[in-house]
Amino acid sequence: MTSPGSGVPAVELVSLTKEFADFVAVKELDLAIDDGHFFALLGPSGCGKTTTLRMIGGFEEPSSGIVRLHGEDVTGLKPYRRPVNTVFQSYALFPHLTIHENVAFGLRRQKIDPGEVNRRVGEVLELVQLTGRGRQRPRQLSGGQQQRVALARALVNHPRVLLLDEPLGALDLKLRKEMQIELKRIQQEVGITFIHVTHDQEEAMTMADTIAVMHGGTIERMGHPDEIYEDPRTTFVAGFLGASNLMDARVISPEQGKLVLGDGTPVWIEPSRLMNGATTVSVGVRPEKLHLSAPDSPLETPNRVPGTVTDASFTGASTQYLVDTQQIGEVAVTIQNLGDRRFRANDQVTVGWYPEHCFLVT
Amino acid sequence: MRGSRFRWLLPTYLGLGLAYLFMPVLLVIMFSFNDLRGRFNVRWQGFTFDHWLDPFRVPAIPRALGPSLTIAFLSALVSTVLGTLIALALVRYRFRGKAATNVSLFMPMATPEVVMGSSLLALFVAVQAATGFVTILIAHILFNISYAVATVRARIAGYERDLEEAAMDLYADEWQTFRRVTLPMIMPGVFAAFLLGFALSFDDFVISNFTAGSVQTFPLYVWGAARRGIPPQVNVWGTVVFLVTVTVMLLYLRWQRRSALKRA
Amino acid sequence: MTAATVSGPAVSAASAARRRRRIPYLLLLPGMAWLLLFFFLPLAQLVVTSLEEGSLEAGFNFAWAWDNYGALFTTYRGQFLRSLVFAGIATLLSLLIGYPLAYAIAFRTGRYKPLFLVLLLMPFLVPFLLRTLAWRIILADEGLVVTTLQSIGILGSSGRVLATPMAVVAGLTYNLMPFMVLPIYVALEKMDKALLEASADLYGSPFVSFWKVTWPLSLPGVISGTLLTFIPAAGDYVEVELLGNPQSAMVGNVIESKFLNVIDYPAAAALSVGLMVVVVFLVVFYVRRVGTEELVT
Repeated sequence: MTSPGSGVPAVELVSLTKEFADFVAVKELDLAIDDGHFFALLGPSGCGKTTTLRMIGGFEEPSSGIVRLHGEDVTGLKPYRRPVNTVFQSYALFPHLTIHENVAFGLRRQKIDPGEVNRRVGEVLELVQLTGRGRQRPRQLSGGQQQRVALARALVNHPRVLLLDEPLGALDLKLRKEMQIELKRIQQEVGITFIHVTHDQEEAMTMADTIAVMHGGTIERMGHPDEIYEDPRTTFVAGFLGASNLMDARVISPEQGKLVLGDGTPVWIEPSRLMNGATTVSVGVRPEKLHLSAPDSPLETPNRVPGTVTDASFTGASTQYLVDTQQIGEVAVTIQNLGDRRFRANDQVTVGWYPEHCFLVT
Repeated sequence: MRGSRFRWLLPTYLGLGLAYLFMPVLLVIMFSFNDLRGRFNVRWQGFTFDHWLDPFRVPAIPRALGPSLTIAFLSALVSTVLGTLIALALVRYRFRGKAATNVSLFMPMATPEVVMGSSLLALFVAVQAATGFVTILIAHILFNISYAVATVRARIAGYERDLEEAAMDLYADEWQTFRRVTLPMIMPGVFAAFLLGFALSFDDFVISNFTAGSVQTFPLYVWGAARRGIPPQVNVWGTVVFLVTVTVMLLYLRWQRRSALKRA
Repeated sequence: MTAATVSGPAVSAASAARRRRRIPYLLLLPGMAWLLLFFFLPLAQLVVTSLEEGSLEAGFNFAWAWDNYGALFTTYRGQFLRSLVFAGIATLLSLLIGYPLAYAIAFRTGRYKPLFLVLLLMPFLVPFLLRTLAWRIILADEGLVVTTLQSIGILGSSGRVLATPMAVVAGLTYNLMPFMVLPIYVALEKMDKALLEASADLYGSPFVSFWKVTWPLSLPGVISGTLLTFIPAAGDYVEVELLGNPQSAMVGNVIESKFLNVIDYPAAAALSVGLMVVVVFLVVFYVRRVGTEELVT
């Protein structure tokens, strides 16, 4: 057993595989999660994220591979022998027990002294702002409150790792936003490693220190939220984390970062992103990184293509344009509403962007 | 549904249907008050409380109620335990042979009682087992099992597996999970299975007729008495049985409703 | 980390998995053993007994006596056919009376639905034999039913109902009513009420809505109700004994008397097996139609 912060990962998965009768849910997954991190497993349904979480929690037995918690192999252990706790998607609050009894459930099973149980339950209910609700039953509470009971019931055990399976999925949008901030606050307060499974990329980016994007049973991209947003590296990750415009290009000069599109239009990108020696690449750029101008007021951006606005929709904080270009087809552009000129359909425009906003995908 | 001109049709039909269903009930109760002269209690001859004031006058009735109640209690108990275990396996686990298990459980429900009773008797004759209390009990447990499975299974299927996983996650081992989460959750179903088993066993005539030997249960006594003329005390006891089961049923429904309100 | 500590949990994981796979079988074991010993084994014994010959005095011996089955089509052909016909008529009547009842409770009772369900079941808490004996009073020669039927000319002035096949069918229909109504009610109750609104919205008249939407969706209930009514009715012998006469005897009466009074086990067993074959045939049809998962619900 190692203490937190000693450099041993809180969770380590080694070549973890889970096969069901007719498909492979998780394929030889290797993953190390640092202690004290807020870690998000992000992906569409069926990508294997929940199965991975369930294997860490002990609810699913891996077909092969190893699960280590703080360096200790727990692969074959039952859930009740693992120092992890789970916040279930459905909350799974015991309907026949009061809030207090729900939260105390884990402590009582661990034969903790009754006085200590009451103290810790009170403490954790205060942490989730449910002081005074102990005698009520789960169904008397609102969805958001139930969610916090589920959180308290897991946290009160001081787990080494807390697993959260789509914990905010059942809440409405406004409450979800509030709980995202709340969860982040609690995680920072208790300092426990959180592993959070979600299909909502905004939720993952709001809360997590590290995001792993899963696809087809493997991790396709892992890193700090802004890092994987700005440089997603694969078409899938680029598409899953927000919108992007993709174009095929030929490498002319790797040292200068010079590429050309099909018709010879030059495109400049950061040379550092071109190190893999490929000669043809797929270049992506996010809609909000694009600039628009009328043809008579030229843009300063090194990359420019002319086009025609086909659609403009005003969304309040920004305007979303679709621009048809000869070189790269239809382009999505998001422009902040700063009071600048707005374009309409059929306007002739120039689309421009900076080299540092380009990423390459495979 | 129907045009508004015919809206009265279904409610009226429902009323008539209930009247049809209740007619024999009312007669059974009414004839417990019949001031009977002669042996056959089939014609109304005037009102009296006599039979209610002397329910033990025919000693064979209390003698038959004893084994009936004992067998009903024991068979309901055993079949509820066996049925609950099967229901847990069927709802909570995937295993080979599930379809065969389902069919096997359905067969006793779909078998005519006369076939079930006669086959049991054929077996008891073949192994030279004397029929009596034990063989009735065996038979009653048998036909109750399928109903117990069906009743408990409906209840288990009604809540999510998550609750058990949550308990395991919170350091409850398999036994503690069963004891503290599964059992409290399925208790209404288990209780209902027991009540149903008790009622089915207490009221069984056909299968008991084949397996009873010389033991007399309440239905067997009634059967025998039917040829000689039923004493009105039988109606008294029939009414008592009816009132008790109705009360238990209503209490059960109220309890379940309350706990449903508490839990939901 | 040494190789031993890595393989240790892996090995225990495998044995834990094996243990977990065994759990459902352990749960099934006691109950299914009971079923095997006291349901399937007796049925097998019944077949064996049906092929024996001999007498109570001389003892019965196994002799591949297929002749016992011949009686099914000769001596007891009448009783056998009568069982099927009575059960068929009673099932049809139960369906005709019971479907509208189930429909009314499912669609028209609103928040009083539980109350009406209780009312529907309540009569069947009266002991079965007493309930049946009450029909003797209802169908008695000077009773209301007979005098009404006589006055509207359906029954001759000296005609009677008690001790006729009519009384037997009436008793069967009444006693098996819950087995018909409940499955139909469950099927109707499961139905999404918006489907009827959708049908009305799509120009379905009430009759078309019923015939094209409600009826097909209630069919699983109708099928299982039919099965649950027909099977016990075909094997019944109580109604004939209490309400009918010897001329209306069904196969159940023959089985009962041969097993318990005449003591001719092989003949009785052959009749029992014959009845069971009809039932198995029906159940197989049903399983094909509805599937196994919903059998015990």
